[in-house]
Amino acid sequence: MRSMIIKELRLIGKDKKSFFFLLLMPIIFIVMFGSVFNQGEGGASVTLRTIDQDQTAASKALIGQMKGIMDVEQLPADDVSGQLDKIKQGQFSAMLVIPSGFEQAMKSGKAADVKLYQDPSAQMEVAPIQAILGSISTQYREQKLTDLLIAKGESQAQAEAALASPIRIENVTASADKFSVIDQVVPGMTVMFVFFIMITMARRFFEEKKTGLLSRIRTTRIKPLHYLLGMWFPFVLTVIAQCVILFAFGHFVYGLALGDVAALAVIVVSLSIAGTGIGLALSFLVPGEGAAMVITQVISMGGAMLGGLWVPSYLLPKAVQTVGHFLPQFWAQHSLQDIIAHGAHLGDVWGAALILLTFGLAGLTVAMLRLPGFLRSAAN
Amino acid sequence: MVQTIHPPKAADHDASNNEYMLEVKGLRKAYAKKQALENVTFSLKPGTSFGFLGPNGAGKSTTMKILTGIVKADSGTAKLFGKDAASETDAVAKYIGYVPQDITLYEKLTAYQNLEFFGEAYGVKGKELKQRIHEVLAKTGLLERANEAVSTFSGGMKRRINIAAALLHRPKLLILDEPTVGIDPQSRNHIFEIIRELNREGVTIIYSTHYMEEVEALCDEIAIMDQGTVKAMGPLGQLLEQYGQKAIYLEVPGLTEPPQDPYIASSRKEGSGWLLETEQPSALMQRLLRQASQQAWDVKQLEIVRPSLESVFLKVTGTALRD
Repeated sequence: MRSMIIKELRLIGKDKKSFFFLLLMPIIFIVMFGSVFNQGEGGASVTLRTIDQDQTAASKALIGQMKGIMDVEQLPADDVSGQLDKIKQGQFSAMLVIPSGFEQAMKSGKAADVKLYQDPSAQMEVAPIQAILGSISTQYREQKLTDLLIAKGESQAQAEAALASPIRIENVTASADKFSVIDQVVPGMTVMFVFFIMITMARRFFEEKKTGLLSRIRTTRIKPLHYLLGMWFPFVLTVIAQCVILFAFGHFVYGLALGDVAALAVIVVSLSIAGTGIGLALSFLVPGEGAAMVITQVISMGGAMLGGLWVPSYLLPKAVQTVGHFLPQFWAQHSLQDIIAHGAHLGDVWGAALILLTFGLAGLTVAMLRLPGFLRSAAN
Repeated sequence: MVQTIHPPKAADHDASNNEYMLEVKGLRKAYAKKQALENVTFSLKPGTSFGFLGPNGAGKSTTMKILTGIVKADSGTAKLFGKDAASETDAVAKYIGYVPQDITLYEKLTAYQNLEFFGEAYGVKGKELKQRIHEVLAKTGLLERANEAVSTFSGGMKRRINIAAALLHRPKLLILDEPTVGIDPQSRNHIFEIIRELNREGVTIIYSTHYMEEVEALCDEIAIMDQGTVKAMGPLGQLLEQYGQKAIYLEVPGLTEPPQDPYIASSRKEGSGWLLETEQPSALMQRLLRQASQQAWDVKQLEIVRPSLESVFLKVTGTALRD
């Protein structure tokens, strides 16, 4: 078996296609997703384009207040129709216009109107802007009531107590570490591309069969089971190396926190066994390399989508979340994120590790059952 | 005329006789509806150089794959030193070196790495393996190319490494399945030398080919196979004597018809003369000389033709050897 392992590791080391799929592609994806979604320290921010036609102290105070919460991009005051065309063309989703007479209306006690133009097809982007503006509006109302109460002889403290909400919401973060997009992207892309090892595995097994090497090996003293394990083990090592390189890349380039390294190692090893175990089963079940490539892509991409590798699982529909629980990708991603972002340790992820190992052993069992037929087919 | 030749019967070789290292009895194998082997029986003494001659699809490769345990026969047995090739594969693998028809090497790995892999696969390890790799590389003339990838080798060099990979465990029986396909004459001669040297060292050879001249050059015993059966088997000289065409070649300018003589069984035009088949070449020669003198022939060529393996093949199978 030792000879099989050394030989296979040497061949994998010379396989440029595998290097591309297993390392280069995930690094490109991590960089791409990281650049798109990880702008700024605090993650993605909301930008509101604003036209100030009033140009008064009150309008500037409103803009100043908004800038404290979100990014504000001020546009020329005379270009409302041009900017509206841009919304219609989908170039941005919303624009706030502070009309002339804003300050005057406020001073006279009338409602000071501002207009929020929006793209009806971009409600997900507009919703946080509406929420922020609603919050600012509430603050203005509270300030107005406070002024009224003080004018009627109440003290500042009495006025603030009268306006205090009966409900107080305290924000408490579940873990000490903050969660960034990189915490989603690095494990997500790592888990997704781990399953691409299945293409390499299937290709190697079919090559051995097609070239007659498998038949020749059968004339030596290598036993069928040793052949199977000798082919499998190098791929487990390859996936472990792949995960180590990708997590190291995330750590050194994006400052990804690795959490409990022992727990991380256990999940990485379990994931390697799961991915390569399924790869073994696939290699012995499909009729050819082409079919293996198609099925690998279905398993990798489908599993990535349903298992929450591209977007967090809780954002997916309930039914999809349920399906995700039957996929190894879900358990790998879930446990990796727990370790990286939520401070989980070995005791917290052993269940996920066990599930991943079960997937791997199931694949190995299928491969062992199919091995005699595979060997027979290689002889003809 | 086609003469029906029955394959040797199992009783011809006493199974209990220990002088045979390999005993094959009544092998049958069918793939789907095609009968690949039908009652193949033969035995080999140690040190023999045994040739399997036959066209593609004759059953040579199937027989070899059964001997090496790659394929299981539907019925019959193949025993090497008393070990069953189908059930005692590990024991048999110790004795057999198998060189497949295709070049079955890892092209991206170096010659040395390939030999290292196959050596360990045959159970050779450590210092002994290193020494054996050095020896087989020297024997095949590839010592200086040991650390180069096999993909950079010529066809002949690949064939030699293909053979070297089967020698690392010092096999007592070397099975070569058409090992010279697609290579130049120089490489072919090099491979012949390797095989002759191994045979001189005591290695028993089974050599499969559809080239008659290879069998004639290398083998002292021959089995002619066609359509899954052994049509004839024995030492080369015996086969030539038994089945070879005895003939006289006569070339006389202007002789448009073959001479008529009761000793001539059949005749045909060949080149500028006539090939006259006969069972009594010496007697016919004397009669032709007499006739030449009486009729004042200007004889350019008159000679007894040596029986060829080609004529043996034609006689026992009824067809010429096809590629």
